[in-house]
Amino acid sequence: MAERRPKIIGFCCERHGMDSAVLAARTGKQFDASVRLVQVPCAGRVDGIHILQALEDGADAVFVLGCLEKNCYYDTGSIEARKRVEYVRQMLAEMGIEKERVEMFNAASTNAWAFPEIVAKMVEVAKKLGPIEEGERR
Amino acid sequence: MKAKIQVVLCKCCTEIPSVLRLESLSKLASESNNVMSVMTVDAICDGKQLAPVMNDVKQKELDRAVVLACHKKDVSPTLLRAYRRAGVNEFMVELVNIREEVVLPHANEPERAQAKAEAKLRAALARSLMLQPLERQTEEMKTRNVVIIGAGVAGQAAAKEAAKAGAHTVVLEKSGKTLKVPGVVMQHSTLVGAEGYGGNLKLKIRAGEKVESLDAAALVIATGGGWTQLKGSLAKAVKDAVPLYKLNEQVQVDAPIKGPVVVVDSPDPSGKTMAVQDFAWDETLETVVELKKKHPETEIWVVFQEMRAFGLSELVYKEAADAGIKFIRYDKGGVPKADPKNPGVLSVRDFSQGEQLNIRFGTLAFASIPANPDNRLIAEVLRIPMAADGGIRRGSIQRWPVSTPRPGVFVCGSALFPKSREAAEAEGEAAGAMASAFVKRGTIEFGGVVAEVEQEKCSACLTCVRTCPYEAPFIGAAGKAEIRIQACQGCGMCVGICPSKAIELRNYTDDQIMIETRTLLGGDF
Repeated sequence: MAERRPKIIGFCCERHGMDSAVLAARTGKQFDASVRLVQVPCAGRVDGIHILQALEDGADAVFVLGCLEKNCYYDTGSIEARKRVEYVRQMLAEMGIEKERVEMFNAASTNAWAFPEIVAKMVEVAKKLGPIEEGERR
Repeated sequence: MKAKIQVVLCKCCTEIPSVLRLESLSKLASESNNVMSVMTVDAICDGKQLAPVMNDVKQKELDRAVVLACHKKDVSPTLLRAYRRAGVNEFMVELVNIREEVVLPHANEPERAQAKAEAKLRAALARSLMLQPLERQTEEMKTRNVVIIGAGVAGQAAAKEAAKAGAHTVVLEKSGKTLKVPGVVMQHSTLVGAEGYGGNLKLKIRAGEKVESLDAAALVIATGGGWTQLKGSLAKAVKDAVPLYKLNEQVQVDAPIKGPVVVVDSPDPSGKTMAVQDFAWDETLETVVELKKKHPETEIWVVFQEMRAFGLSELVYKEAADAGIKFIRYDKGGVPKADPKNPGVLSVRDFSQGEQLNIRFGTLAFASIPANPDNRLIAEVLRIPMAADGGIRRGSIQRWPVSTPRPGVFVCGSALFPKSREAAEAEGEAAGAMASAFVKRGTIEFGGVVAEVEQEKCSACLTCVRTCPYEAPFIGAAGKAEIRIQACQGCGMCVGICPSKAIELRNYTDDQIMIETRTLLGGDF
């Protein structure tokens, strides 16, 4: 049987997050196909429940990608998002799930190499930790 | 009523078929529920090819669409307008970026790319069924006034530019100086209050003794700003440093200046944000040259990190060097320092020679322009954020470099951070042009993807009021949160943070986001 492929959800903000992914693709960067991008208007829109539900639905790792904190399109969106991701990570640690599975990143829309690096990092995390065990999952 | 979906697959000339099998995508789409029509086009960005797609929409009376093409920003305006004309609400069109998210980055793995594209299509169809038609609303502007606060270099440039474009300008000037700028000049006046949103602002202005109210469509902040004191470690050692503009005044009035004179390029040379200052090169060079002319015996040192004398300033730089003014360049490794025990000596490492220099000085000047304490007041009145060093913070630099996060409120010149006269003037012109363009629209458009409060769930905890950068949520008469949709930008920050889950962002609801993630996770690739 072929090696199990990780499942990764990436919540990308419509502005710099998505733009950096698009720029990476346009400059010919190849990255792992196991990342599923979900577009949200701003990283601040991502709620804890979205991340937790994604983990429950079978994602091995979840990341949120927003604008750079000092240059966020919606001013404070990525700062709010980071706070929320930290909260979710803390919650996961209390539940006994590795908190490395959830991560927040910032990228600039002009930065073509940031996105492949993020994907590589998350794939590595997902492969290392494997799927969330049944006992762990509620 | 049953939803009727049109699925459009764009070939993007030949790029997408080179990796994906469009026939099987098309088969998957046509077998899905509610899909009435599947079309394949060569390039959706080509206006000519839109016609058959739109005819199909009209014939079958479809009410929503899923378009698999490229990046949203590249296709959306034309495509959405065409759908609108064909009778499909533009918020019911789901654009899937299949080119940059699947085809280009996974070109080496066509099998996985195919599976991913299918999952994306399924997710888009699932999400499409949950979309709601939204309408954008418009409101007439009651006035066409552009109010400019401050009549300095930037303010005057803004007034001239705005008037050139036909806007009616009102310039508020704190002092009583007479000005030759177009429009009304209100002397001895300051802004003390503001209500409303960009387009229909109600301002309260204290003019002399009385407070007047004034309607404005757009506002330009050109109050200026800067530093009057040294900062950081240098400030602890040197107590009697003078800002550059004070030194300039002293030179102009022939006041006695204790030599030798040292001019530093920044109020805080070791600080991070103020490491390099380009705003004051003209002033620095002109001042030192004039000082040297008047007092040739005075020894003058200019300590700088980066010389930015461009354009004609280059000539002044040369003149200064010829006159015997000493220029010392430093870098991060050897920033100017002074010992509190021996405050008359500045020690700095010369970057070009690599030598540690101890310069004995009588006067230490630092590049600066007068700070404006009004900035804080104006920021509070207009509820816009401040930068760390006392200026107004602009919105995202990509969005518009002279705008604040509030639409219709613009900022220019040294109110952002200290800068040279030319740069301030250029920014003033930009802000004036932006303000007049904003006013010329005559209407403000709002709505669409905005937040909405479910009043029963709201516990009036004020979290959304505190979080929103645009001041859109407020506590209404019923004691529950409401959204000022004219101010809402549709980011959804309040939605994510609401502890009672009382706010929803239209067309980005929790259900819609979660069904998308669930469907995407369903695919195995």
